[in-house]
Amino acid sequence: MNGEDNKIVAFCCEHSAYPVANKAGRMRLHYPDNVRIICVPCAGRVDVQHILKAFEKGAAGVLVMGCQEGACQHLTGNTRAKERVKYTESLLKEVGIDGGRVRMVNLAPDMAQRFIDEVKEMAEKIEGR
Amino acid sequence: MQVRIGIFICNCGKSLNNIDFPKVKERVEKFQDVVYVDLSPTLCLKEGREGMLSAIRERDVNRVVIAACSPELKENVFGKALEEAGLNYNFLSMANIREQCSWAHEGDVTEKALELVRMAANKARFLQPVEKKDISVNKEILVVGGGFSGMKSALELSGLGLRTTLVERESALGGKLGEFEGFYGIETTPEEMLSSTRKAVEENGDIKVLTSAEITRVEGQAGDFTVRIRTGEKQVSQSFGAIIFATGYVTKILPQDFELKPEVNIISQRKLVDMLQAPERLERRPGTIGFVLDVSDENSRLPILFTLNNALAVKERLGSEVYVFCKSLKVDSEGVEKLYREARERGVVFLKFEEKPRISKEDGRVKVEARDVLLGEEVTLLCDFLVAEEKVLPPEGTEALSSMLNIRTDSRGFYQDENVHLYPVASERKGIFFVAGCKGDLDFTRTSTDISSAAMSIYKLLSPEKAIVEVEKVKVEPEKCRACLTCVRVCPHGAIQMVRVDTEKEVAKIYDHACDGCGICAAICPAKAIRFEGYADEQILAEVEAIGESL
Repeated sequence: MNGEDNKIVAFCCEHSAYPVANKAGRMRLHYPDNVRIICVPCAGRVDVQHILKAFEKGAAGVLVMGCQEGACQHLTGNTRAKERVKYTESLLKEVGIDGGRVRMVNLAPDMAQRFIDEVKEMAEKIEGR
Repeated sequence: MQVRIGIFICNCGKSLNNIDFPKVKERVEKFQDVVYVDLSPTLCLKEGREGMLSAIRERDVNRVVIAACSPELKENVFGKALEEAGLNYNFLSMANIREQCSWAHEGDVTEKALELVRMAANKARFLQPVEKKDISVNKEILVVGGGFSGMKSALELSGLGLRTTLVERESALGGKLGEFEGFYGIETTPEEMLSSTRKAVEENGDIKVLTSAEITRVEGQAGDFTVRIRTGEKQVSQSFGAIIFATGYVTKILPQDFELKPEVNIISQRKLVDMLQAPERLERRPGTIGFVLDVSDENSRLPILFTLNNALAVKERLGSEVYVFCKSLKVDSEGVEKLYREARERGVVFLKFEEKPRISKEDGRVKVEARDVLLGEEVTLLCDFLVAEEKVLPPEGTEALSSMLNIRTDSRGFYQDENVHLYPVASERKGIFFVAGCKGDLDFTRTSTDISSAAMSIYKLLSPEKAIVEVEKVKVEPEKCRACLTCVRVCPHGAIQMVRVDTEKEVAKIYDHACDGCGICAAICPAKAIRFEGYADEQILAEVEAIGESL
């Protein structure tokens, strides 16, 4: 694998998770600095190939962060993302990567603490791999 | 065209102390295709911006990377600056080194900042221009449903200078407001409210009223809907810019809820209102009147509104004893708490049950047996009339209409699922709005808010004769499209339609004015024929690739 540090790629929906990450920053709630946030217009934009590319490039974990269920501006974006994450998990298992390293997270635009908890949890998980 | 990237780093008034900016500057200069790097303390202010503009011009920069605060805050400002410098506003890629880097972590984060800039620079390489264009929109609005809220919507729109066509299924305007006996505490009767509104609509030159008419087909998208309207045998097609649905609701006593057919002693609210309006026609004054709530639907506010209003009217006009059986009375709509208190003061008795009351007949009267959980006792009531709860249901044709519009309904069959992003009146399709009763609940203050917000949204959408849209930000590449219809099926906004390119082939086309830019189609297209500029596959992948590149 490329790079020594365990990086996490977080695909963040611009309606919820991206502002949440900003909010966490504004509140100076510190979280592990190995997370790299990529803004997407909706969690439904995230494709399996994007997640796999992250692993190919050496990421140790991927988070797909979208709005809460029933609150997607595009109605089905977050549920589609959830299905894709599940499918990616099965692909990763086939090549011997623990399925828990890709996760779908549903956030409301004010859930800064939850965002941090999720990032920390993923960071701990990949630390102990 | 050769890519020439200019990177502008802002240290936010030297406040981001945990990033070593000179080091960042030195390192990013070595990135591929970078022709200019500048470090400024105030990129968002005039001096900083002017420095950026002259650097773009002098160094012939054609892709701009800005490493600063979150794009939410200043992306538009920087986009405009790019246009000033003669570049397309889309040739901008931002690295959020403030909120998501400097502020979010403790200790030195220079390495992370560098990587964020690298991600943005990688993406910048793939940016393509996006044009903005005026598209002409139709300023005529269609209002479906000639009830009180439909008429009010038409009046409100005409106040904003928009012409409307009001389509009503019945032979006359009016709808359901007349079914209310009155609103306690409001002097004007529903009849007076209706007739004055009807008169205003009829006298208004901007409103065209079509009665006994139905819409049979809706095609097109925001700014240009083509609607077929059937009046009797005649069908006409007309074009509209936006549509407001105020199709209302129906109420019905469901026999399975009461195990008794509605009969002489078990009556509907409507019938009670008839009695209240002509009390002299009653053989004798009813001594006791009971109401039952929360049996068929625990979520609806409408039966509660009816019950409280009518209970108070009974007290005032007939002076009967009034008992209300309910499970949990919901008084969250505006003014209802006051009504409830008023009712209690006037002697209306509320009884709270957990298990469904048993209703039977005894000596020509109705016997209601229930266990009051607050008293902890069985209560038996003999009443002259029992007003049964009516279930609020979507009107006939709602299902057909929603499938025609390709708009989802909630579990009860009403429009406008309570989605925070769409609440209160918008739908997943731009230019289509729902107000008042057709959303499944009715509350008078909320109805007027609904109407105003729908009218304002339409004004915003259509008011300039031409609407400005980003042209082909999301675009189908016709040569790659295999016409599998997947995108047409999944698009939550109904923005994709098939168009014929030649005699052989049909391809999907995305309508800019209807598209909300979610990118679901781009992710799902099996042929990868849809490109979402700004979030195209190669752009997202370029960002991801940056994490693996050694610095």
